[in-house]
Amino acid sequence: MFVLPGEPLEPATLPSHSTIPLKLGPGLLHIPPNTITPTVAGLLRTDKRKNAVWVEFNGGRYVPTTGDLVIATIQRSSVDVFYASISDYTPNATLPQLSFEGATKKTRPQLAFGALVYSRVSLANKHMDPELECVSSSTGKSEGLGPLTGGLVFNISLGMSRRLMLAKPGEQGGLVILDELGEQGAAFEIAVGRNGRVWVDSKSLKGTLAIGKAIQDIDEKSLKVDEQKKLARKVAREI
Amino acid sequence: MTNATASSAILSHLHRADGSATFSQNGYTVIGAVNGPIEVQRRDELPVEAAIDVIVRPAAGVGGTRERHLESILQSTLRQIILIHNFPRTLIQVTLQITNTPEDKVAGSKIVQASSHLAILPTLLQTALLALLSASMPLSVIFTSVLIAAHKDGAITSLTPNPSLVGFESADSVHVLAFTLEGKLLLAESQGTFTLDDWDNILEMAGSVCVPKDGADIEGGVRIEETKEDMTTFVKCTLEAKVAQDLHWYT
Amino acid sequence: MPREVEPSLNEKQFFVKALEENLRIDGRAFDQYRELDLEFGDELGVTDVRLGKTRIHTHITAEVTTPFPDRPFDGLFTITSELSPMTSPFFEPNRPSTTEILLSRLLEKTLRRSGALDTESLCLIAGQKCWSIRADVHVLSHDGNLVDAACIGVLAALQHFRKPDTSTEGESVTVYTLAEREPVPLSLLHFPYCVTFSYYSSTVEEGETVTLLDATLLEEQLREGSATIGINRHGEVCQIAKLGGVPLDAVAFLGCVQIALVKVKEISVFVSKRLEEEAKKRDKGGLMAELSAENDRVS
Repeated sequence: MFVLPGEPLEPATLPSHSTIPLKLGPGLLHIPPNTITPTVAGLLRTDKRKNAVWVEFNGGRYVPTTGDLVIATIQRSSVDVFYASISDYTPNATLPQLSFEGATKKTRPQLAFGALVYSRVSLANKHMDPELECVSSSTGKSEGLGPLTGGLVFNISLGMSRRLMLAKPGEQGGLVILDELGEQGAAFEIAVGRNGRVWVDSKSLKGTLAIGKAIQDIDEKSLKVDEQKKLARKVAREI
Repeated sequence: MTNATASSAILSHLHRADGSATFSQNGYTVIGAVNGPIEVQRRDELPVEAAIDVIVRPAAGVGGTRERHLESILQSTLRQIILIHNFPRTLIQVTLQITNTPEDKVAGSKIVQASSHLAILPTLLQTALLALLSASMPLSVIFTSVLIAAHKDGAITSLTPNPSLVGFESADSVHVLAFTLEGKLLLAESQGTFTLDDWDNILEMAGSVCVPKDGADIEGGVRIEETKEDMTTFVKCTLEAKVAQDLHWYT
Repeated sequence: MPREVEPSLNEKQFFVKALEENLRIDGRAFDQYRELDLEFGDELGVTDVRLGKTRIHTHITAEVTTPFPDRPFDGLFTITSELSPMTSPFFEPNRPSTTEILLSRLLEKTLRRSGALDTESLCLIAGQKCWSIRADVHVLSHDGNLVDAACIGVLAALQHFRKPDTSTEGESVTVYTLAEREPVPLSLLHFPYCVTFSYYSSTVEEGETVTLLDATLLEEQLREGSATIGINRHGEVCQIAKLGGVPLDAVAFLGCVQIALVKVKEISVFVSKRLEEEAKKRDKGGLMAELSAENDRVS
């Protein structure tokens, strides 16, 4: 259901649950006591199981949210902490130097200016600069986070990042390119940041470029599933 | 030449801006770009809300007093509708580039500018709104605006919404009004001589032009070209088309 | 002042390796321009140039004014190219950045100083009245190579523009409005376009440099030297700007001038074609033939 900012939602459109309270996702504003209005233009979506409602939309600038996985660029380092940029022209986020797997006071990671790190946003609110971590705070393991070496990073829209990070990109996001490339036998590594960046690395430079460009093409030209399959075959041939 | 009353809009076409829109109405074309929320200069920083910076650039020449005045009107209007408390100590930048103004075939050799800069204000407001929507900037409400020219003929005042340049130049007073979707008045700027009765009529006419009549249904099949009566429908249709294209993959 | 965004380490390293393998990030050949698109506005003298994702809008206006006292027989021609935050939040109004200064300087040298627009033809009454032609360059989107695109935009707009017709009687000048008389084109003597080369020191061979044409923003940020050559299709060089950067072999540099000539010829052909198509569109009904003062020959 298409919504625009400022049109209060009818209670009939909201899901209801006997025990779980209603959860508001991105794009909605609660005006006490009973009004819920969208704040962006998009499609209203509901999840009856979790009793959640949100607005699905694409575009704009990434706003750091706790728990998101992002690809950040190191700007500088100081005594205990790295300063990393999550998106252009915004204040830097802090990344503690000990927040890496196996890091101690004696063995800190050495990251140069411009290095890319795959990290999780550990703290983000409107009053403070965001904070990142490269290690899971509960287990102490990196779980795939940490510096990204080699390869190339590509810019994509926020909607595309969201699709790539869905649990089932093919079913829920109409995105089959990565599965298709895997089936065609292409070997590559990929990391998707919710801040509109995707990092790709494969054995050949041509391969990396082809895969990255394919993802950007699907994003910009809104390619459908069958067009993605054709693109995957073309890319696999080039590698 | 485009039809003087038809409007058209293109969204999200500038790749480096967070949101962008090109909007044409009544011979005026404006390209708008929105960036934000981004880092703000220490001197412009506000502790609990986002600072809003509006820049209006004319088609020819560098901006002068007119552009500064338009910027201040736009800034105070946009400040009401953007949820600035979501982003304290940041900056939201809105840049509006005027690219086309209606040709005046009767003018002489000087650079042609409408005698009052209010003529382009509705187009600027609409472009700014569309660019903000394209950037998915959280807004509390959306609005539409209209330009009305009032001609006095003895005791009778005739009102023309969205007048041509000739009608605009010969008017006794010109007014720009902006309404939210619910019909609340957001902005009223006037220039010229008029009476309070005139003002009541202007208010009523502007309301009917901006906001759809009760029961207007905006399901599919509505063209993107403006129906002269209703700017709100135009904005809704444009945005609906954009969202449908962005989220074509959603099952 | 917002900091300019710099490419990440991965992008730098990847780019250098790609150059070794003769690859460019967007897959073009080293001397290939991006897709060039030129559109004209409804008004005369308005153009929209797209070079890949770089987009520049140019607007030409004319006004009657007094000439400079030391040049009573010449009209005025000014080019303004202020960058706004639409290009990138890095550019603030009233604070010229290096990019902006270089852009306006290169346009000034190539278009104004070389006499592309005949300023003597703009004179109406010597010492008292002349035309002042003003070109406003608005950069809507910056993805590299602003100079080349801006040059194309201004030259195409100058060829598209028509100034009002005038007639002079002694000390008084009558300017006819568009409704009274058809406006006349500007007098352009030659068409100098700019070609910008970007240089990178080669990692394969010691002391050699790799040359790229039409750099994207990423390629511009990583380049180690650049040269802009302003040249017209007859092979006349109007200006050369190589402002510091990695040293080049002089003979190799002359080779660059040859490449620039080839590119400028291609660009000239493209712009002429687009202007013809635009003239046909405006001339519906064959009015231009009627307006011509030539008589049909009677055999």
